Order: sequence, then structure tokens, then C-alpha cells
Amino acid sequence: MDRKQNLTALLFTGPFLVAYLVIFIYPTIQLVHLSFTDAPLIGAGAWIGFKNYIRLWNDGQMWKSVFNTFYFVLLTVIPTTIIGLALALMVNRLSGWFQSIVLACFFLPYILPVSVVILIWQWVLDTQFGIAQPIISYFTGKPVAVFRDRYWAMPMVAFITIWWTNGFNLLLFIAGLRNISQDYYDAAALDGAGRFKQFVYITLPLIWPVTALVLTIQLILQLKIFDQVYLLTQGGPANATYVMVQYIYKQAFQLNKGGYAATVSLALFALIVILSVMQYQVLRSRGQK
Amino acid sequence: MRGLMTKALATAALLALTMGAQAKETVVWWDFLGGGDGVRMKALLEKFNKENPDIEIQATTLEWGVPFYTKVQTSAAVGEGPDIMTYHLSRLPLGVSTGTLREITPDELKAAGIDAKNFTPANWEAAQVDGKQYAVPFDIHSVVLYYNKDLLKKSGLLGDDGLPKGLDGVENFNAALKKLKADGVEVPLSTHTAAGDSQWRIFYSLLGQQDVPFLKDGKVLDGGDEQKAVDTLKEMASWVADGYTPANVEYPASIALFTSGKAAMHINGVWEVPTFTDLAKNGKLGFEWGAVRIPVLYNHPATWADSHSFAVPNNKGKEISPEKLKAVLTVVDWMNKNSLFWATAGHLPAYLPARDSEEFKTMQPNATYAVLADTAVFDPSSTIAGVASPIYEGMQNYFVPAVNGQLDPEEAVKSLKDELQGLIE
Repeated sequence: MDRKQNLTALLFTGPFLVAYLVIFIYPTIQLVHLSFTDAPLIGAGAWIGFKNYIRLWNDGQMWKSVFNTFYFVLLTVIPTTIIGLALALMVNRLSGWFQSIVLACFFLPYILPVSVVILIWQWVLDTQFGIAQPIISYFTGKPVAVFRDRYWAMPMVAFITIWWTNGFNLLLFIAGLRNISQDYYDAAALDGAGRFKQFVYITLPLIWPVTALVLTIQLILQLKIFDQVYLLTQGGPANATYVMVQYIYKQAFQLNKGGYAATVSLALFALIVILSVMQYQVLRSRGQK
Repeated sequence: MRGLMTKALATAALLALTMGAQAKETVVWWDFLGGGDGVRMKALLEKFNKENPDIEIQATTLEWGVPFYTKVQTSAAVGEGPDIMTYHLSRLPLGVSTGTLREITPDELKAAGIDAKNFTPANWEAAQVDGKQYAVPFDIHSVVLYYNKDLLKKSGLLGDDGLPKGLDGVENFNAALKKLKADGVEVPLSTHTAAGDSQWRIFYSLLGQQDVPFLKDGKVLDGGDEQKAVDTLKEMASWVADGYTPANVEYPASIALFTSGKAAMHINGVWEVPTFTDLAKNGKLGFEWGAVRIPVLYNHPATWADSHSFAVPNNKGKEISPEKLKAVLTVVDWMNKNSLFWATAGHLPAYLPARDSEEFKTMQPNATYAVLADTAVFDPSSTIAGVASPIYEGMQNYFVPAVNGQLDPEEAVKSLKDELQGLIE
């Protein structure tokens, strides 16, 4: 390549590169630096070496929050993917304006801000007058303050999250399903394959790339769970919903420990990178089989 | 001729107006007073602005607790805080440790005419860290026992003086709750069982009645104190377990249980006095109410207490000018001198001339519970204590589930102790 071409390339990529370096790389380096200091929330701190990392390793509440984050991921990622696919298969069989309306209904929660979602569900699940309490009472015998209960809190936060965000997955799956040519199904039908066989041998393999994408997006998104927990339970009761970002918030904003909060953030960052790369590799190898 | 005169007058008036506006010092004010007392504060602010044409207070009310203190801390750190703010004295050591508060020097206080001798020594010193003054006290507030006279009377728990009787001592108190329940009272005692801060106020009062220090020499609930804390927490949990106090009740719902006449007794801060006073005045309460000091369940009277105070944020890179500070301290002094009106919000004025006045001594129901000031126990003076502090968070996280029968009291106390001790070391 001659120099002129190089210069042109630089000219075109330059603005992006500058923005990327300033907005992403620089703060990341700063974050790493911060994790080696005892800085408060705002302002610089003294260099303390690996002290924050040693503390991280011995921090019981931090491990509890890692456990809770995984628990939440388990409760949301695969269920929301399956529900998204199932709904997409159903919506896909509808047609015309009716399909649009059904699709809009399922997508509606996704465009609501989190605060509105939380208010709706706090009202629905209120112990004294919530309209969902008769259903809960049917199984438990008495109304349950779900967000104040150690065992109910996290599954309920997961349930609300799925209700809130499932519309987006549904949309991705619909797009994937529409990409599968009708010819395959016609050919399979000629060969005598029923609906179930068509689903297992045609739909599932062909929708796999979208499924892998949804799973990965969901994994990254749900590892970063915060808003719903902050608004509903603040990590309680008895640490039952303390997730990693909530713990970072506590360290930074409530305890004024910016350095240690940076360390926990980095741990979360590392966790997301490792898990999402691993998951994507596993899913890709399955897809190529 | 007449036209000219009018014009000249108008010009003069306009000039005077603009000059007045130029000399006016604005004071940006943040508070967290959103309860029944917030209405009283708005009236005070209006009165100040009317009486002091050269100072204009621009007031904003923010959400009490963690939101308020997080905002104050971050905004002061980048120089965007207000000129003056309300601040809980319980949180003062924590606020000073994060560099959020500006010292108010003795000279500055003297110039504004603010004198330590107008406050009780303990109250005044609670506004200091390492001998430096960071705030000026405004009131002392506590929790009291609100009671429904009609319901207590039916169960024979009301004396001829209109005050509750037979509530002192754990056994008597529990027997009273049992009697009320047996007499068909739906809720013998209403507390905010879903709120950690409210449970702390009750718990700390009961610890104080047993002389158990929550924090001593850097140790949280040391030695045998841990067991006493567990026993106290068990007592609080038993009210819920025995059906005397409904579980998981949020703050507003707890008040509603009392105002609707379903609850015979209600433990809440004095700041809700205006709520009941105003309801009764408008004839919407439907029963006779009163408020007394928290009954003595253990050895001797003691009630948790805290103070609202005024503080100046340490706005980094935007030091407050001497003129502005003078205006701020003028506001502080004026507020204290007018704090008799603030007492109608339920609080006890920190300013002694107001507290010792004849008018305050006859003000009801304040006069009935004012004795609590003599036996008040304040939050431990520590960076883990105060509103929106690690202690408050731990209360929400561990004690609320314990009170509601979700967590073993032993485990709750131990978890809280371990977490707080870890923060001290």
C-alpha cells in the first residue's frame, strides 16, 4: 500500500479512533488505575497496590453478590430466550393487522421506563390490595410481601425483568423466523414431516444463530442487573438480592470508596468478558455441528 | 406638567427597584423536609423572605435519606452544592469524613451573633468533630407513642389524666397489647415494619433503656451486649409474630392504620404531629389522640433522638464568599429565633430561649413528651452512624427481615455486627 492510501484510511477511521480512545479506552485505563488506589468517590487517592484485590478476595458480601448475580442470570437468561422463541412461533402464525396488534402488545412493556415498570408491579403485588395477591394466596394460604421475602424477592425481580424485556427478544426471533424460506417447510411436508419434526429439523437449526445472539445479549445485560433491584429491594432482605452492581453502588455512593468500587467493577467486567466469550464459543460450536 | 411628574416618579421607582435587586443576596437552600413538618418549613421560609428584603432564599426540597445525602456529597465534591442545607447531627462525623461539610469558624459564628450558650452543651458539641464546628443545631426530634384515646379507654388503659397507663415494663406492655387485641382492636400497635430507619429508632430506644451501648471503643455490640441486642430484637419480632403489629407495613400505610382508627397505638417521629393536628382540626380524625414518651419497657426511660441542623457544604473549587456566608448565617440565626413556630411541627427547638419560653411549655402535645429530651440517647458518634449510614442500611437489610419473622434474630444481629465491625477496621 502506498502512503497516500494509508493517509486516506487514517482520515476516514480517525474520527472514530479518537472518539473510541477518549470515550472508551481512556476511562477504562483510569478505572484500572483507580482500583489500585484508596480514592474516595470523587477525587484522587493514594496508591495502595493490590490491597483492594486482596480485600475483594476475602469479602463475604461481594461473593454473596456474585452468587446472587448468577442466580438472577439463571432465572432470566434461558427462560426469557425460550419464552421469546415460543411467543415468536405463535405470533408468526398470525397474519395481517392482527399480527401487528399482538406484536405491539408484547412489545409495549419494553418501551416503558424502568421506574414505571416497577411502580406497576409494586401496585400489582402490594400486600394489602395488590390484584395479584389472591393468586399468591391461593398457593401459599396468605398474602406474601414478595419484595420483603428472602425466597420470593429474587424470582419476582427476575419475573418482572422478563415481562419488561421479552418484547425485544420476541422481535429478534420474529425477524429470524421470517428469514427461513417457506420452501424448506414445503419440501419437508412433501416428505411427510409433521409440525414437530419440521420445528426440530428445520426451524431450530436455522434459528440457532439468532438464539445464540439473544442468549449472549441477555447474558451480558442480566449480569449488569441494577435498576430493578435498586428500586424494589435495595439488595435486601438479608442480602437476598444484593447483586454486583448494587454492591458497586454501595461501595461508591454510600461508603464513599471509589477505589474499591472500581475493583469490584473490574471484577464484574472480567466476569462478563469471560462468560460471554465462553458462551459464544460453546453456542457457535453447537451451531456448526 | 403632570405627565412629567408621573414619568419622573416612575423612573425613580424603577431605579429603586433595580438597585434593590442588585443588593439582594440569594441563598440557595436544600432541605429534606417532605413530611408534615415540610409545610411548616415552607411557611417559615416565606416569612423570612418577607421580613428580609435584602436576602432571598431559593429553597428546594429533596427526598429524605440516601437520595438527599448522596446528592449533597457528590454535588459538594464538584462545587455544585447549595449555600445552606439541613443536615442530621447523627450523620455529622460521616459527612465530615467525606469532606462534604465546611467548618464554621468561631469568628464567623460570633459575627452572626450565634452563641453556644443558647444551646444545651451536648447538642452544640454534637455539631462538632475534633473541636471544630460544622453545623448549628435547629431542633431535637425523637419518636413518641401516639395513641387513640377512645380505644385505650375501652380497654381500661387510659388514666383519668388522659394519658395511657399500665404500659411500663415488657410484661405489662405485652399484656396491654393482648388486651387490646382481645377487645377487638385490629392493630394494637402500628409501626413501620418495612422500614429499617423506623426499626432502628425503636431498637436504639430499647437498648438505651437497658444502658447497652451499640458502639463502644470502636467495638459494635461487644461481649454480652450482643445477646442483649438479640433479646431486644426478639421482643420486637414477637409483636409481629403474635399478631399485634402487622408485618411489612410501609411508612404511609402505618400512619394510615392509625389515622383510620384501626390502630390503638403508633410509634413514629414527632414530625408527624402536624399530620394528626391538622386532621383533628379539620374534623377528619374521628377520635381523640395524644402523644407520650416511649414507655419504659426496661430499666429506665430512654428514647432515641436526633437533631436537624444547618450546615454549609464544602463546595470544592467554589468557596463561599464572605458576603454569602454572612447571609447564610443570618438565615440560620433567624430560623433559630423563630423556632417556636418550628415546634408546631412536633420538634423540640434546639434554641433554648424558644424551648424555655412560656409559650412552648403550654404547647400540646409537645409539652407532654418534652421530658424525653432529658433522657434522650443520640446515635453513636461515628462514621458508620446516622441517617443514610451503614447502620441504617444494615437495619433495612437485616433487622427488617428479622422483625418480620424472615430471619433469625441471632443471625440478624451477628450479620449486622460483622458487617459494621468490618467497616470500622
